[in-house]
Amino acid sequence: MQSRRRKYLWLIFSASWLLLVLLGAPRLRQLAIPPSLRPRTLTSWPRWLDQELLPNFVEPEELTKDPCPPSCSTRQWQRQRPGCLMETCFDTSRCQSHGFKVFVYPVGLTQPISEIHHKVLASIEGSGYHTANPEEACLFVLPGDALSPQLLPLWNGGQNHLIFHLHPGSWPDLGFDLGQAMLARASPKPETLRLGFDVALPLFPQSYPQRGGSRGQLAHLIPPPGEDLLAFESQLDARVTGSSNHLDQSTILIISDHHGEASEHHRDGPCKQDHNTDQSEDQKRLYNSTFCFIPPNCHLGSFHLLQALKAGCIPVLLSSGWELPFSEVIDWGTATIMIDERHLLQIKPALQELPPARILALRQQTQFLWDAYFSSVEKIVHTTLEIIRDRIFRAAARPWLLWNAPPGGLLALPTFSTQPGDFPFYYLQRGSRPSGKFSALIWVGALDQPPLKLIQEVAGSQHCAQILVLWSNDSPPPPQGKWPQTTMPLMVIEGRKKKSDRFFPYSAIGTDAILSLDAHSSLSTSEVDFAFVVWQSFPERIVGFQTQSHFWDEIKGSWGYTDQRPNEFSMVLMDAAFYHRYYHVLFTHFLPAPLRDLVDELSECEDILMNFLVAEVTKLPPIKVPQRKPLQEVLQHAQGEQPSRDCISKFASWFGHMPLVHSQLRLDPVLFKDQVSVLRKKYRHLERL
Amino acid sequence: VCKEETVCVSMCAPVKYNIRGPALIPRMKTKHRLYYITLFSVVLLGLIATGVFQFWPHSIESSSDWAVEKRSVHDVPVVRLPADSPLPERGDLSCRMHTCFDVYRCGFNPKNKIKVYIYSLKKYVDDFGVPVSNTISREYNELLTAISDSDFYTDDINRACLFVPSIDVLNQNTLRIKETAQALAQLARWDRGTNQLLFNMLPGEPPDYNTALDVPRDRALLAGGGFSTWTYRQGYDVSIPVYSSLSAEVDLPERGPGPRRYFLLSSQMALHPEYRSDLEALQAKHEESVLVLEKCTNLSEGVLSTRKRCHKDQVFDYPQVLQEASFCMVLRGARLGQAVLSDVLQAGCVPVIIADSYILPFSEVLDWKRASVVIPEEKMRDMYSVLRSIPQRQIEEMQRQARWFWEAYFQSMKAIAMATLQIINDRIYPYAAISYEEWNDPPAVKWSSVSNPLFLPLIPPQSQGFTAIVLTYDRVESLFRVITEVSKVPSLSKLLVVWNNQNKNPPEDSLWPKIRVPLKVVRTAENKLSNRFFPYDEIETEAVLAIDDDIIMLTADELQFGYEVWREFPDRLVGYPGRLHLWDHEMSKWKYESEWTNEVSMVLTGVAFYHKYFNYLYTYKMPGDIKNWVDAHMNCEDIAMNFLVANVTGKAVIKVTPRKKFKCPECTAIDGLSLDQTHMVERSECINKFASVFGTMPLKVVEHRADPVLYKDDFPEKLKSFPNIGSL
Repeated sequence: MQSRRRKYLWLIFSASWLLLVLLGAPRLRQLAIPPSLRPRTLTSWPRWLDQELLPNFVEPEELTKDPCPPSCSTRQWQRQRPGCLMETCFDTSRCQSHGFKVFVYPVGLTQPISEIHHKVLASIEGSGYHTANPEEACLFVLPGDALSPQLLPLWNGGQNHLIFHLHPGSWPDLGFDLGQAMLARASPKPETLRLGFDVALPLFPQSYPQRGGSRGQLAHLIPPPGEDLLAFESQLDARVTGSSNHLDQSTILIISDHHGEASEHHRDGPCKQDHNTDQSEDQKRLYNSTFCFIPPNCHLGSFHLLQALKAGCIPVLLSSGWELPFSEVIDWGTATIMIDERHLLQIKPALQELPPARILALRQQTQFLWDAYFSSVEKIVHTTLEIIRDRIFRAAARPWLLWNAPPGGLLALPTFSTQPGDFPFYYLQRGSRPSGKFSALIWVGALDQPPLKLIQEVAGSQHCAQILVLWSNDSPPPPQGKWPQTTMPLMVIEGRKKKSDRFFPYSAIGTDAILSLDAHSSLSTSEVDFAFVVWQSFPERIVGFQTQSHFWDEIKGSWGYTDQRPNEFSMVLMDAAFYHRYYHVLFTHFLPAPLRDLVDELSECEDILMNFLVAEVTKLPPIKVPQRKPLQEVLQHAQGEQPSRDCISKFASWFGHMPLVHSQLRLDPVLFKDQVSVLRKKYRHLERL
Repeated sequence: VCKEETVCVSMCAPVKYNIRGPALIPRMKTKHRLYYITLFSVVLLGLIATGVFQFWPHSIESSSDWAVEKRSVHDVPVVRLPADSPLPERGDLSCRMHTCFDVYRCGFNPKNKIKVYIYSLKKYVDDFGVPVSNTISREYNELLTAISDSDFYTDDINRACLFVPSIDVLNQNTLRIKETAQALAQLARWDRGTNQLLFNMLPGEPPDYNTALDVPRDRALLAGGGFSTWTYRQGYDVSIPVYSSLSAEVDLPERGPGPRRYFLLSSQMALHPEYRSDLEALQAKHEESVLVLEKCTNLSEGVLSTRKRCHKDQVFDYPQVLQEASFCMVLRGARLGQAVLSDVLQAGCVPVIIADSYILPFSEVLDWKRASVVIPEEKMRDMYSVLRSIPQRQIEEMQRQARWFWEAYFQSMKAIAMATLQIINDRIYPYAAISYEEWNDPPAVKWSSVSNPLFLPLIPPQSQGFTAIVLTYDRVESLFRVITEVSKVPSLSKLLVVWNNQNKNPPEDSLWPKIRVPLKVVRTAENKLSNRFFPYDEIETEAVLAIDDDIIMLTADELQFGYEVWREFPDRLVGYPGRLHLWDHEMSKWKYESEWTNEVSMVLTGVAFYHKYFNYLYTYKMPGDIKNWVDAHMNCEDIAMNFLVANVTGKAVIKVTPRKKFKCPECTAIDGLSLDQTHMVERSECINKFASVFGTMPLKVVEHRADPVLYKDDFPEKLKSFPNIGSL
């Protein structure tokens, strides 16, 4: 009995003990951890029992009433308010009849102007928007920033006037009342900038190149191992420099300072312009760092910014204190790292945590921005004009992508389309593709016969949509019935008999792809078919058959071109080439009239100019596809000395650099001349000689 | 509360000790019976206490687990505001993030996410007990609930960086200005309004309707609906929409593209007479395409006047009628911000906004050019021709965009609150800000578009050269032959041997072929195929040549030419043997093809040039389990790489030079690859597996390959740059 009871007791005892341990242990553990370390559930906003019964913040009837007092009348409203907006201070009606035309006051009106202003004026005069007639102008540009504009005949309170203010040192003294004039100012402070009205420019020295300018200098898209993380300019104030000591010295380079004294002195006063253009030492270091810290220093910040962009060093900016150049259209977040200056201590961890994909994108974007908008005075000035144009013609303004993806806003014209998906270079980004057909555009020159055989060969292509004959012959075109019978729609356009007509954006062209042909070109259907299929993979490039190569002629000290270097090429001839119709728009509206006149005067220059243009946009060589005509014949066909040799030099000087790029490859069909049954080959006719 | 348990702990320990051996028990049977029972009951007590803990916790430990209160709004505490309690200053127009906002409170946050605190709800009354405002509106309650449910929320006032008062100021007309300001000023962390965020949708009051909330608020941030340029503090305030309750009430399915009945429609009821006469003139001119709606005068009882609009005798349902128009007018009223904007967007109608100086909602991040047309008030008469000049395709794009803006940022108070907080978050951590595309691209565009990581059209300098990576296991002889051959290529700058054999040491230094470039051997920890694609620090060039240790049939000319081709296409895989994927209609799946075809969609990575960045992508960003799958099956690493590159760039591969054998001349099978059935089946399986992981078939088919310009042309061989192409 005793033992049995004991057993019982034991059993109960141990069972309850077990239970206690099981139940109590987690609770005990919880108690052992101090409350601050314990995971906590949040006290959230209460779910009110009567939340369904709460009143609306406004009765729907009240919203639709919204009585409009007399003061909301349009004109009264405007007069009440100070400051300038495009709506209130700019008369867009001036731009309706003649479009966006820019008039520059003659230089004689004012005091002598600086070299940099001369460059600005030359850039405006070189743009397609320039007009010499003030009557048709929409925008008036002052030839400098130091004159009394009240004397100008068309001043009109500054309305529709633009002043380039490139010497920020003289701020705030422009010396006169700005009135309603727009100000394009280098390194403006946000508080002095009239948002959406003034334009923020970068600061650039007198010696800045007029056009062209050097290319970006990034060699490695991915930071190579051993590259410094961050380059610091030491022109920081004590607080910032002090904090830089906390950062790891081994990865951070403090750039020695040539000009600290001067900038210290000029921090809030006027800044000299050129005192740091000789930056060779600093420059080298910029190339060796992934990030460059740009201090918000006086006006020089924007100059340092440009240097960093050029070097491909990702600028690290403090998010306060200055308005970035062209910030109205450029999304600086895609090319720079912004950080609140009070988070400066966190620069290093923040930068180290950036994923490589982001760094890769930032580095590429610096190069794109530099090359598209900042490398020359001309680009800066043209960007300014385009920004103002976009404001005036809002409905036809460039969307974000056109400004912020290669080739950039200056080369992507909204007159063509405001849909990025229509441009040859944005197909992938927009998930669109070019239309699957092409239009053949056949140029019939003065000495040519109607190209009957050619039409038949081209019309035989399954991808052909229409044939356009550009009749530039002195004799009238043959009547309808004389043309070969094809199922293709055929249309004869009588041009002005100028060479530049070849690249006019005719509204009759209904496809994205154009096959440009000469009356004397000889092409077979399969050559056309294959070339078109290749073009669909490279819609932004020219795809052609016959090639030429440019070279630097040491003896003459000028550019030349030849077809006697058959191992490489940089141009394809336009007597048989595929390209996107957008290039017609660029050729006609982007290039200045004098260049097109040159093409009309000299023979064989239109090929070169078109190749220049496309290479300037794509930065890539054209593409060569095989042709049946034996090479020897092609080489013999070549003339000795080209009469138009100097047009290549002229074009190079207008572009400011040589945009053409060499290539050593040709795209052939996959089984081209392979040792396999010819029946297996899709483009077997290409191999038959 | 915890006492019982602590006692228990101290007592239990000796108990445990005492009862350890059963032999002890008989000795204390009567003597300690009392003691025994006490012990027993203590244990029982402990048990009960624990049970109580377990099953009735929230009454004991407050603020845990079940923390959501179930109360009525009417039960909230009442706070009496003395008439002389302090008043905040008026808003400071010069405030910017770097002057008025205290970022130190936000600190450095590895997640780059601000923390938001919401003050608890109180009812404020003045000295006479008269309430200062409605306690809280339904919309503001929804907004606060949304914040509280989000990642931004914290209930710890000390950790918060942004503070949202529960005082409802959405509509200025429902509150007493001075008293509300006093109520704000007495909040626990008011601190001159620093880091406080107020939401207001209807600012101003008659007659002149200010465009920002009139309540004095020191430095507080204002998320306001209806800012004008003059009151909006760029980069400090946030412009928000005026919420339309129709968003929740009416379910308007998105309308597809296609022509709509009206070109331009105006649905606002209280228009300024001047505007109305302009609109009516427009309607008179363009009978059919313009519709100007008005308030209905003779509606029967019980019909909501807000849901009907009339034109002459015709009655239209609102907002459904908005879907019948391409463009819808959003004219300013007394206030700049109009709730109709939300209705118009919901209907997928393109808003035509006529309100000079109006700061559009979320204009800091949203690109309104893509979804609306803004017309200056002065140009209202020319409006029709401006709108007509917009191509139909663009209108449809704008309609889609308008609808997307509504879905993402307008449709609920939650959407509005989240967008507002995200904007502020982006300002505080600008380097981690959300990109333009993420804010603005509709999901369909995000899906179909490809953003090539190597988007810069740039031909890398030839001088950089390439790094050859030879993956090897133990075929030393063949390896040395490959090394010797590859070292003849002029642009080779470094050679990296990946020694994938853990059981065997690589040959001694002296045995390796002497070549003109640095040669490095990397030993791997495991024999995995993915070792070939690891982004080794030793790779200093952008270009990488992956090459197997048995590829000896390539000439130096061919390799050098391959490098030149890669320079022109640095964002693609440039390889020699090409392969194709085909859709097998019978089996309804993908098939791998290595026959002589006219097309290619893949190149084998047994010899291929590609950008070093793809090594990084392969190692760290390969979708799904593909990487492990490849390592486990010891196959298809090349197909995986082809998928990866095509998917991220949207571009096809480049096959270089004619087709031929690549390994040994004696091998009978083409390319030395065993062409037996199992191999092909396995490879096909890989394609199907990868296509399902990627959710799409990224490979692109092309019909071209790259040859030297003069390849097989009738031209003296010795004058060609690359004569030895296809010669082996």
